[in-house]
Amino acid sequence: MRRTRIASAIVVLAMIATAFTGCAGSNGASQPDDAIRIGAVLSLTGPYAGLGEPERRAIELEVERINAEGGVNGREVEVLFEDDGTDEARAVAAASRLIEQEGVVALIGASGTGQSMAMRQEAERGGVAQVSLAGGSVITDQFNPWVFQTPWPNRVVVPFILGEMRAAGVERLALIADSGGYGKDGRDATMAVIDRFGMEVVADEQFNRGDTDMTGQLTKIRSAEPDAILMWAAGAEAATILKNHDSLTGMDVLPVYGGPGNARVELLEGAGSAAEGFQLAAGHILVPEAYGPGTEAYEVATGFIGRFTDRYGVAPDIFAGHAYDAIHLLVDAMRRLPEEFTSSDLRDELERTEGFVAVGGTFTFTPTDHNGLSEDDLSFYRVVDGTWALAGEAR
Amino acid sequence: MGTTELLQFALAGLKNGSIYALVALGFTLVYAATGVINFAQGEFYMLGGMLSVWAYADLGLPLPLAALVGVAATALVGIVFELTAIRQRKDGDPLALIIITVGGSMLLSSLARHLFGPNERALPLFSGGGNVSVAGAVLEVQTIWIVGITAVSVAGLWYLYNRTALGRAMRACAVNRDAARIVGIDTRLMVTVSFVLAATLGALAGLAVTPLTQTAFDVGPSVGIKGFAAAILGGLGNPIAAVVGGLVLGMLESLSIAFISSTYKDAIALIVLLGVLFVRPQGLLGRSGREKV
Amino acid sequence: MRRDARTLLPYVVVALVAVAVLTVPLLTADRYLLRVLTFVGVNVIIVTGMALLFGYAGQVSLGHAAFYGIGAYASAYVVVELGWPWLAGVLTAVLVTAAGGLLLALPSLRLKGHYLAMATLGFGEIMRVVFTEARTVTGGPDGRSGIPFPSVGEWTLDSAGANYWLVWGAAVVVLVLAANLVRSRPGRAMRALHGSESGAMACGIDLVGLKVRVFVISAALAGFAGALYAHVVGFISPSTFSLHVSVLLVAMAVLGGSRSLAGPVLAATVLTMIPFADAVIPGLSRSALETIQSFQEDIYGLTIIGVMLFVPGGLAAALRRVASPRGRER
Repeated sequence: MRRTRIASAIVVLAMIATAFTGCAGSNGASQPDDAIRIGAVLSLTGPYAGLGEPERRAIELEVERINAEGGVNGREVEVLFEDDGTDEARAVAAASRLIEQEGVVALIGASGTGQSMAMRQEAERGGVAQVSLAGGSVITDQFNPWVFQTPWPNRVVVPFILGEMRAAGVERLALIADSGGYGKDGRDATMAVIDRFGMEVVADEQFNRGDTDMTGQLTKIRSAEPDAILMWAAGAEAATILKNHDSLTGMDVLPVYGGPGNARVELLEGAGSAAEGFQLAAGHILVPEAYGPGTEAYEVATGFIGRFTDRYGVAPDIFAGHAYDAIHLLVDAMRRLPEEFTSSDLRDELERTEGFVAVGGTFTFTPTDHNGLSEDDLSFYRVVDGTWALAGEAR
Repeated sequence: MGTTELLQFALAGLKNGSIYALVALGFTLVYAATGVINFAQGEFYMLGGMLSVWAYADLGLPLPLAALVGVAATALVGIVFELTAIRQRKDGDPLALIIITVGGSMLLSSLARHLFGPNERALPLFSGGGNVSVAGAVLEVQTIWIVGITAVSVAGLWYLYNRTALGRAMRACAVNRDAARIVGIDTRLMVTVSFVLAATLGALAGLAVTPLTQTAFDVGPSVGIKGFAAAILGGLGNPIAAVVGGLVLGMLESLSIAFISSTYKDAIALIVLLGVLFVRPQGLLGRSGREKV
Repeated sequence: MRRDARTLLPYVVVALVAVAVLTVPLLTADRYLLRVLTFVGVNVIIVTGMALLFGYAGQVSLGHAAFYGIGAYASAYVVVELGWPWLAGVLTAVLVTAAGGLLLALPSLRLKGHYLAMATLGFGEIMRVVFTEARTVTGGPDGRSGIPFPSVGEWTLDSAGANYWLVWGAAVVVLVLAANLVRSRPGRAMRALHGSESGAMACGIDLVGLKVRVFVISAALAGFAGALYAHVVGFISPSTFSLHVSVLLVAMAVLGGSRSLAGPVLAATVLTMIPFADAVIPGLSRSALETIQSFQEDIYGLTIIGVMLFVPGGLAAALRRVASPRGRER
């Protein structure tokens, strides 16, 4: 009996060991003491692990480069990563740990909207700026002087998409949104401005994360006879929607539009030919020509895309781009400061950021706008031959 | 609402219901053998899809072979889990075993994340694209695969239960474990067999669905809940009841979308389930909700 | 003399632990450590209820995260939206969850075993939909932020140390009350319930009434903990009150062992601390911590399986063995 138990313990340990080898080795090299410390609270495990991983990779890559180029005013930058496990309480604890024990001058994170909202109280009380990588409008709508945000919030994205749809002659709109934060946010933002575009919502359907079939919702949408479907779905369900739609109605009969949450290579792989003709709004990073070849933004973005692809073998996604923006916004503000500065100085300087060219767009913060992006930072794409193409050119 | 739309909703219900039925069968088989709700059942569903994707995309096997490898590997995980964890709890205390399956569920999904990454992964449709028109309603070919796999699994299970010595032993074990042991049935073996079958059924469900939904390390729990609900709705321990429960649950959700609201479809299905339980505590087809003393 | 020492010992140990727990903020000003320990305290309060429900009344609920959430939202709503004082918020949370517990318990406790588990799970999932959709009350998936710190009159508990004292003070009171309850007549009846329902019935114990009361107490404790959590963290959203949390709470109670409060409290402490290992293990390197965090779910899973396999009676049995090495099991 004892022996079988030991055997079972060995089996389990062997499984763990296999898993260990499957992971990239983490380096525990310590940095010099005078390094500038920045904390990053990311979802490296849990449902948002798919966001946290590319974010972490982008930050590690860029910090190495920044330090190789001499750091900030002669000091090295050190980013300390904490995993919030896609859990709000852990995000709060991680933020307080980074502020209290590690003495960070600023926080990057979290990956998710809920975790970002949960940790802002810690950032405010600790007196450090927080640069969130989550897209929820609430993060900068419920304004907090200490909290900044790099992704395009839906109050910027939605008018851009609706404008494109209106130009394509869409008047009757059907919504399908996930029941979580991303879908609700997109739906609310759409409802808020729909009248301005002379459009009406004729169907308003929801689904839950993990649902295996959307034909019910799509059947209901079809019988409402809309001109187009606008989808707010960030996860794997987006591919299911496109596939079910392809079988049921077809993209040529009823076009489907989406937002930045759909700008993931997993969507192209998952939906396959069903994604053909799908249109979405996202930053310029999907097709770097959108930045305008020869511009500073183009150089910045293609440089990052090249470095990231060289290192990791895959192109950076939009989440990696948001993380790039966050670390560079902070570093840029620190470079404008004298050698010795406080975390409060850093927040003030960050707020004075003007026309900073990064991957997600050109950032200009003001005391009332802590996102600083506009519709100019978005492009409209169409899926052609299994990849993104600028919609204007594809048409 | 026209008949074509109604038929379309019915087909959606049938498709989801078949998936729930397969997962529910896994719950009910393990329950019959051990008296335990296996919280790792959803992870078998996840592994069935994930290991098939691994065999197809990472090992480069042709799809049919990859599917076989995925299901067989999941069945193997079921055996290993039963032998190294479930069987090691000698007194067979059901609650302790349930908690062990909770631990197993966490371990399996986390290992899947370590090995296969955090993002969703895709598998091609079994027989390309294409649809069949049924009285104006659209039937995806993959749905035929899903329903077909469920039907074949149920038929196979029926044959196993009613026509083989192993099946008779399993049934005896479900009725009364002590009596079964006295007449010389290896009840421990029956537990292992039930886990293998449960893992296989869960894996088949995950495999059949992945071409439509993709799969990821964290898809297990939500389908696990649906399967558990279906098994309870039908009545625990009875395979036919599990299938009925699964189909009823799928139809309920589909009709909620059609006539009430897609926002509340899960809540509506659960409220109906609670209503059924409060009126018939043993489920739709269950014999008696009374615990064995 | 010896006998006295033995009967007194548990009280002395409990008193010493209580004093040690409550002096932590005097020894450290580390807000991180205090925060983590505050979360432990919140879980200890819920698990005390779960221990009464499972360990003494033999019932399993997979819906207690919902009560945790109802308490949190109720208190946040009346304090933020209606401007009630904090104490009234906490009281509301306790009353609302007690009423909710009663409403769920009356029909559900007719169900046995897994059917009861399903009913409570269904309740939890329905409440999850309510938390996301009842947006005027809950703030929807974006959650409810800006929940003020606990305060009584002019006096606001806005430091990490004060929050710690509040939560652990509450936890100690709850534990003392629970310990008294299980030693009382109804407590002995509850224990009989866990042993054999028909046996307990034969002794003339009002089974249903007793189960309902225990269920209501455990729901109210979860609601109380939720109210504390909401005001200490200042932000709540539906993901904090998911099925995963309900399952973990049950795991804590079962890992702790039946007919014990100390076991479940220890289990709650250990499981809550796993991702925060660096708070209590000084000198843990960053890479070690990152590995622990990355493998947190694996560690949870292995811990749960390991305890259930190697310590059959749960941590309570292990504690009893330590307390009386000569082996007076049970």
